[in-house]
Amino acid sequence: MEEVFIPALGMAMEEAYLEKWIKQEGEAVNAGDVIALIETDKAQVEVVCETSGTVGKHRFQVGASVPVGNTITVVLAPGESE
Amino acid sequence: MGAREEMQSMLRMMMMIRNFEETADRLALRGKLSGGIHNSSGQEAVAVGVMSALAPDDVIATTHRSHHHTLAKNFSAREVMAELMTKVTGVSKGRGASMHLGDVARGHFGGNGIVAAGMGIGMGAALGIKMAGDKKVSVGFVGDGGMNTGRTWEAINMAAIWKLPLIVVVDNNQYAVETFINRVTAGGDLAKRASGFGLPASTIDGQNVIEVRDAVAAAREYALAGNGPTFINMLTYRYYGHNTGEKGQYRTLEEIEDWRTHRDPIEQFAARLFKEGLLDQATYDEMKVSVEAEIQDAVEFSENSPHPDPSEVMLNIDSGKLRG
Ligand SMILES: Cc1ncc(C[n+]2csc(CCOP(=O)(O)OP(=O)(O)O)c2C)c(N)n1
Ligand SMILES: [Mg+2]
Repeated sequence: MEEVFIPALGMAMEEAYLEKWIKQEGEAVNAGDVIALIETDKAQVEVVCETSGTVGKHRFQVGASVPVGNTITVVLAPGESE
Repeated sequence: MGAREEMQSMLRMMMMIRNFEETADRLALRGKLSGGIHNSSGQEAVAVGVMSALAPDDVIATTHRSHHHTLAKNFSAREVMAELMTKVTGVSKGRGASMHLGDVARGHFGGNGIVAAGMGIGMGAALGIKMAGDKKVSVGFVGDGGMNTGRTWEAINMAAIWKLPLIVVVDNNQYAVETFINRVTAGGDLAKRASGFGLPASTIDGQNVIEVRDAVAAAREYALAGNGPTFINMLTYRYYGHNTGEKGQYRTLEEIEDWRTHRDPIEQFAARLFKEGLLDQATYDEMKVSVEAEIQDAVEFSENSPHPDPSEVMLNIDSGKLRG
């Protein structure tokens, strides 16, 4: 199971605004797919998964401010569950 | 140390550095370090090859990308990881973080954030060595990005006219953030540029740890004999972005993949040792396990160490010699 999280992209970055879920719960994804769009102080950032599988539960709603390092969803390999 | 032990310890050091960097980068992305890092994955043979040719007393001065040099100079994974978390147990007592690792007493004159400054500091150390009459050398590391910086050539010129025991090592990963070195090198050949200063200058395969070690060993002998500096341009490659989280569009995924699969310094060296009968599968597997344990221990140690006490903020900022 891969945890998809808000990356720390600068010394001053403490949280990010969850702008859009690109992949829905239960949707199949390939490594490198964009899962969500977030906004930091400086830029819009694509949150990408590194493995292929199925998107798990969305742990935050659009509009949430999510602290850096927090997992926003997971990518499940075949047979895995949350 | 016999040849077998020496080779295996070089291999293990490269594996340890790779694991350290990938672990630290993940921690940085999660916001668990004090800032990001400059990941040196892919460049291990430069660091380990250079240090394998040096004596413990020899001096190095390095750059913003310096974890690999520091670990290869026998600084422990614990003290380096703790520094990345700015903990008191770190090599710079938690004051420096990733770009300011160093300990003059152990021949490490520090990393720093100014492109090509480390090379100048290395030149100063070489002058100090010569004035003191010590039998040692100084290595100044510089990135390819420092090859078009004026102070680089000022330092090389001075080292050449004074025949200082300096070895200039270009940790040439071919990119300065997004700038490809070949696009910005007038004349096209860095070694040729350096040879204009009248010193031995060469370009070598920085992914071949033995080639690196032998080139530095020769430069060291040359310097100890009083002949002066040597310039070695080591061709290498960084696998990750310039700094944590950087995913530029300035190079192709195919290019990265090609270096990773065909020129990886660790895999190439392991394959060579297998072929020469200096390594067996069980030993290799054990190394992977012990490296993983060492890095996990370093992370735990660092997480459990305290940050410096704010009341001590004025300590360690000067030698104390000038105060009454
Ligand atoms: C004097 C100076 N100019 C610019 C910068 C910004 N900067 C930081 S790293 C870097 C690129 C360095 O490239 P290189 O020397 O090839 O080292 P690498 O990052 O590849 O290890 C630049 C331009 C700086 N730190 N110092
Ligand atoms: Mg570079």
